[in-house]
Amino acid sequence: MEFVWTSTVIAIIAFALLYWLLEKYAFGPLFGVMEKRRELVQEQIASAENSREEAARHLEEQKQALQEARKEAYAIIEQAKSTSVKQADDIIATAKSEAGRLKEEAVKDIETEKNKAVLSLRSEVSGLSVKIASKIIEKQVDEKEQKQLVDQYLKEVGGKP
Amino acid sequence: MHIFPILEIGGLEFDLSSILGILVSCIICFVLARLAVRNLSVDKPSKLQNFMEWALEFVHNTVAGTMPIKHARKYIALGATIIFFIFVSNLLGLPFGVVFDAHEELKLIGYTIISEGTLAEHGGHAHIAFWKSPTADLSVTAGLALIVFVLIHYLGIKNNTKHYFKHYIEPFPIFLPLNLMKVVSKPLTLALRLYANIFAGEVLIATILMLGWIGIPMLAVWQGFSIFVGAIQAFLFTVLTMVYIAESTVHEEH
Repeated sequence: MEFVWTSTVIAIIAFALLYWLLEKYAFGPLFGVMEKRRELVQEQIASAENSREEAARHLEEQKQALQEARKEAYAIIEQAKSTSVKQADDIIATAKSEAGRLKEEAVKDIETEKNKAVLSLRSEVSGLSVKIASKIIEKQVDEKEQKQLVDQYLKEVGGKP
Repeated sequence: MHIFPILEIGGLEFDLSSILGILVSCIICFVLARLAVRNLSVDKPSKLQNFMEWALEFVHNTVAGTMPIKHARKYIALGATIIFFIFVSNLLGLPFGVVFDAHEELKLIGYTIISEGTLAEHGGHAHIAFWKSPTADLSVTAGLALIVFVLIHYLGIKNNTKHYFKHYIEPFPIFLPLNLMKVVSKPLTLALRLYANIFAGEVLIATILMLGWIGIPMLAVWQGFSIFVGAIQAFLFTVLTMVYIAESTVHEEH
């Protein structure tokens, strides 16, 4: 076994050449692809993280919206309740005032009727009293006096034209 | 023992089997890598792409374990190249061998491969192996270690100059010889460890082959183990390289 120095030189040259060739045609592209894959994976992780955050945000939004809707519904129910109570109160108040009004009217009617009745009674009484008076007068006025009254009347009638 | 064909051109010696091994390793690495990244897809990776990504992640993890992540990116490719090249190289010598029996001077396209002298040294008869793991050759592993050596010192000087020169006299100036020894021993151990492991494996394979038919089960077991050893050595070389690079480039403030 002897040391052949040309082999050393050839080995160095061949190795340098191989390194250059591999670097240029094999490892370079491979590194590029590996780098690209690394980027791809990172990008996907980032996008997954993004969508997760978005989903969480959406969920939060949905929850909030649900809460709001519930609150709104509650408010509507409350309002309806209060409205109905108010309406009932209104109706009762209206009914009360109507009843008062009717009562007053009735009282007034009664008053009027009473007055009317009193009035008619009064006129009747006066008529009756006149009749009674005339009956009494009829008995008391004698023939002579009657004749005088008739004459007077006739005179008045005759003297008019 | 086999001898390897040495081609002499203009006074320079070329070890044909090592060169062949290096070339084949490079081609296999490149073709495999190209196949793996043929249809790159971000969301639907093929099996081969998955494997390559797993390998890169694996290297990335070993790198990131020894240096901050922001520095790691440009060294991952280096680590991956090292681990692929060494692993393929380690496995190359396992499945088969190409051995010629040479009894006379052998010439290839006019150049002497085996000279008369070499033949005479081996008693006029030599087994010439054209096929072996390139990493079973010390000169090749020395080349790899040299790359690491140059790289770590270059990076050390360039990235944190002050700390680089200071670390030779740390914790005390008297440690300078030890630190210098460490500088030498780092690439030396890298080269020798890899070479010795793979060479030993091949030697044992060659030895078991001499046993003939009886050796087949042993050969199967040893080849399986050699795959394991090859993987371990490739891993070790890569991790050590990364540790050295991390040492020389990163200086924690303390």
